[in-house]
This record gives sequence, C-alpha cells and structure tokens, in this order.
Amino acid sequence: MIVAFRENVDGVLLACKELIENPDCDLLSAKGRAELKQKMEFTGIEDVKTLGFRGSTDTTKIVSNLFGNKRSRMFQRDPDVEGYIAMVLRHRSSRAIELVRFLVSCQGNVELLYSGKSNIGKKYYNCMRDVSRSYHRMCMFARPYLANGVLSVKVESPHQIGDMFCRWLARKNPDVPVSVIEGDIAWIGNGNHVGLEHFTKVPSSLAGSLEFSEACDEVDDMWDMYYDSQIIQKRRNKTHAKQLQPKLSASMSKMAERDRYKVERGISNYTLDNFTSG
Amino acid sequence: MTLMERMRVLSEGTKYDSCNQSAVCHAFGPDGRCIQLYKTLMTNACCGECTYCPNRCGRDSVKATLSPEEIVKITWSFYRRNAVEGLFLSSGVIGDAEKTAEQQLEVARLLRTQGFAGYIHIRVMPGTPKYLLEEISDCANKFGVNAETTSSINYSEICPNFHYNSDVLQRLKWTRDLINRKRREAGKRGRIIGANDTQFVVGAVQESDREIIGTVEKFMDRYELRRPYFMSFDPVPFTPLENNDPSPLWREIRLYQTSYLLKDYGMTANDLDNVLDDNGFLPDNDPKMLLASCNPELFPVDVNSATREDLLRVPGIGPVGANRIVSSRPINSEKELSRMGVVLSRARPFVEINGKRQTNLFSFAGVGA
Repeated sequence: MIVAFRENVDGVLLACKELIENPDCDLLSAKGRAELKQKMEFTGIEDVKTLGFRGSTDTTKIVSNLFGNKRSRMFQRDPDVEGYIAMVLRHRSSRAIELVRFLVSCQGNVELLYSGKSNIGKKYYNCMRDVSRSYHRMCMFARPYLANGVLSVKVESPHQIGDMFCRWLARKNPDVPVSVIEGDIAWIGNGNHVGLEHFTKVPSSLAGSLEFSEACDEVDDMWDMYYDSQIIQKRRNKTHAKQLQPKLSASMSKMAERDRYKVERGISNYTLDNFTSG
Repeated sequence: MTLMERMRVLSEGTKYDSCNQSAVCHAFGPDGRCIQLYKTLMTNACCGECTYCPNRCGRDSVKATLSPEEIVKITWSFYRRNAVEGLFLSSGVIGDAEKTAEQQLEVARLLRTQGFAGYIHIRVMPGTPKYLLEEISDCANKFGVNAETTSSINYSEICPNFHYNSDVLQRLKWTRDLINRKRREAGKRGRIIGANDTQFVVGAVQESDREIIGTVEKFMDRYELRRPYFMSFDPVPFTPLENNDPSPLWREIRLYQTSYLLKDYGMTANDLDNVLDDNGFLPDNDPKMLLASCNPELFPVDVNSATREDLLRVPGIGPVGANRIVSSRPINSEKELSRMGVVLSRARPFVEINGKRQTNLFSFAGVGA
C-alpha cells in the first residue's frame, strides 16, 4: 500500500500512526495537493491513501498515542513534539519521509528526539535547533521601521520562518499592524487594524507601498549613542562577542550591521575635538 | 544639556547593572554582554553618600536628569525598532527613597497606560515604602533592591545613609512576598513576574568569598533569591575608596560560577568550603573542577548507573547533559556523550563507560584502583 501524506505536522503524525499499523507500506510526501498530483502523474501511481490533506487533526491525541504523555525537553526552550516537527519541516534539508521513519523508530521514547544519541536523532535535533536559532536571530537583529502607520521589515532566511517572526512581532506590538516581507510574500500581523484578517499573507507587491527607510534616523543615532554607553572597555572580549553577534547579524539590519562593526573594531573614543585641541 | 547628552550620562551610570531576564537579546557589546533592555538612571544627582559610588552626593561630576516623559519616549522608540525588550530603570536617590520610587512608578504607569507590552524592571532604592512597592508590582515585571554586601557592619561602612536590616533585608522580604502574590494572580498565561534578585559589590569592603557565598545561600533560602548579580569594585576618583585596590574581574566570574553551583547543581555553601583558601577566598580556578579534584574518592562515576546528582558533580556535565544521560541510557561510547553536549576534555578523567575509564599515572604505577 502507498500512503501519501502532507508535509505538515498533521500529515507527519498521521503517517507515523499509519506506519506503525502497516509497517510495510510505502510513503510518499507532498507539500500540497498540486505537488501530490504531479508526483502521482510522474510515477504513474493511481491508488494511494492520502493523509493530512483535508481538515485538521487532533495532533495532541496522536502525539500522546505515539509518545505517551511524558514531556521531555533538554533545554528549557526546546519545543514539544508538535513544535519539534513543525520546526524540522521548515528546515531546508529535512526529508519528511525520513522524519516519519525516525519518529516511528523511537518506539515511544520521546527523549530520543532531543538527546541526539543516534546519528539520525542528532541530525533532526540539529535541524530543529537550526530553525529555532534562525528564528531567534531574526527576533534579535531584525529592525522594523514604522512607515505609514505600519511596522515593516524585510527579512531573508533559508528556512521559511517569516510567518513565525511576523506572529512574534505582532504579539510584541499588538496596537499596530505589522508587515514582514519575505521574498515575494508579505506576512501581515494585526491586520484587523487595516481591515484585513488578524494574520494573513499577501503578495509583497501589495505591500510595496510601504517605504523602507535605509537612511539613519533619530532613533538610529540614539541607539548608537546608547550602545556605546553600555560598553566596559576593560572587559572587551572580541572572540566571545563575535560569536554572540555573528557576521550573519550584519545582514539583517543597518543597526545590527553597525553594532557588528563595533564588535569587530571596537569603539573609538577619539572625536574631531581630540585633534583640534591637541 | 541636550537630550542625547543626558541620555548618554545616565545610561553610562547603569552599564555595570546586569538585567538578564531570559528573553530576547537584541545586541551584544564588544565586551560580550547582551543588551536586552534600555537601561537608564532617572538621575545621577543622588543625595546618598555611598563610599564606592560615582554618583555619591558631593562628588564633582556631570549631573543629569531625564523626566518620566523623556524616558517613556526613548523606551517606545527603541521598543518599536525591536532594539530592546523593555526598560530597566534605576536612579540616584532623589530626596528620599519614597520620592524616588514615586518617580519610577510614574514612568512605569505612563508606559502601561500607553499600552506598552514590554518588560519593565525597576531597581528600587533601599527604604522604599511598602505601599509603593505594591503599586510598582502592579506595573513592573521585575523589581528588587540591591543588598550590596553581606552584613550590616559592612553595609554601614559603604552605605552610611541606610540600614541593612530595615532598608534592605526587610525590602527583600516584601519583594519576595509580592512576587509570589503577583505570580499567583497572573497564573501561567499572565504577565511575566521575575524572581527576586539582588546585587553585591564585590571587593568594596574586605568581605571574604566565604561570607558572600554564605549570604547568597541564605538569601536563596530566605528570600527565594533566584540569581545574585556581582559587580567588581573599581575605585572611583574623588570618592572615599579611591585609594583601594580594584577587585579582579576573575573574582566576579568565580563567584558567578559558585552561584550557579548553588542554584542549578544542588550544592550547598558547605560543599564549596573545600575549594576556598585559608582566608576564605576562591582561587582563580573553576570551582567545580577544584571540587572534583578535592574529592577523588567520588570518581569515576559510571554514566550508566550514576544518579543525576552524582553526574552533576562531574566537570563538563551540566544540568542539561545530566538529564540527557539519565534519559538516554545505555550510553555505549564517548561519542554519544559528546553528542549530548558533554565537554569530554573536562569530563573524561571523571567518568567510566561500561567499565572503561581514562587511564592515569597512578594506574601505570600500580597505585590505587
């Protein structure tokens, strides 16, 4: 029997359940109906059992059937099983079928997802952490500008996490609409303030009217001054600081770029006054 | 002075304050410390006479003040730009503790009434009245008072305007009770309420590390202190302590390490007694490694049968690594340990996997096990 499942949390969990019941079944995955149809036409398969393509599933129940009710997180911020799968699926190098087989191979031991004991376990734990890290870095270093009453920012990530970031930014600023532009999609949060759904996506061309300020404004200047005021020169630790404010951060916003430059080069105490007075 | 100049002066006054609140860091300085909050003093024109403080009354320095409205405006600007998660507000004493707390409360209230959803951490002055602490707890996510040192005798030496027992310890007790009440009221989905915290100035008076560690343990027990902060004393010109020696930075680091051993590793101040020298000071070495070296009879521990507590005594294994080991047994190789985040270079001499352990000179000489 061939089982086709959707590459989302529902689909993966339903496929796990099916694989436990029918260990000999073959798996096929697709991101949506169109991709599934394309794959079926390409391979000439006609009869498949589809999972996760219609409606939503009670994932909590399936997770408790698969792994029991025991919660296991190695780090405080590690997500639960559903969150783990959702993160892994966003990773550019994740393979949904391999993930399903790994989840089933854990045989109910939820710790194996997080412990990294096996090679495959380590691979998917790292995928999860990779996506999680990219998301947190975006939350750290992206700097939205308030333009035309909308808090807007352009982001880039290999892991399709613009929607996650948009939700986070909308939660942080519940009183203004937020727009996160990722490639040709614009995610809109708190859309109810501008007559849209609370959370939705629109083509980025529609959000094109938003002006992105590349020039420094008063807030940037204030930030530079504040940033410089917080440094304890005697404690400069370039290696450590470079790890925490990585090179990657510089590409996420102008402010983060200037901060990264100061991490690299230090903060000069000299001004023009030093030259003229001397 | 322009707004920017006043802002710079007052932000510099808080650069030694740590404001870790386990949320999103938005930048890291060249010293590797994170920036999560907009940290500022309301004023540095302080009427206190703390002997180590650059803002002490009578010291000739540039004095500046920010109005509550200005602090609110700056906080919003940084917050909207996603440059901070909120505000850390401290101050010099404006007249008395009550008046200062009223001003701090005004800032927090203004922000909340304007719909500010960010984090507010208020460092209150010793002697702040209870009714104001209660009102601050309605708006702020975290609030606390600095203990600065370990005893009332030491305290009277460096902070002559305040009393250790009534102005500090009593406030720590009140903040503990308020935090517990607010946490109960907020429930799981409500506003975050940070744990009780305090800060010690290390090296301003001649207190030993034994005293500091003992005080931290006592505070954890009595006032549910979650995390102590340490600030190395650095003599400030034109203060009574200007001729004292600065406290070395490594002392602050070793004290932080021991505080983690108390907080996360289930150790007690008595356990740490072995690593202190005759005068009660920590040497410049990792206290956990020293502790393991002082107790060779406890090692090696078998990773497949040791309890979590035993694993936590092994250098290179932290709480996360210990959890992973306990839940992933059997462990068959060092590689598996390494994958679980154990620092093998430190842990190797102290662990045993399936009867195999690292050899040592004693084994070659045929001495010991």
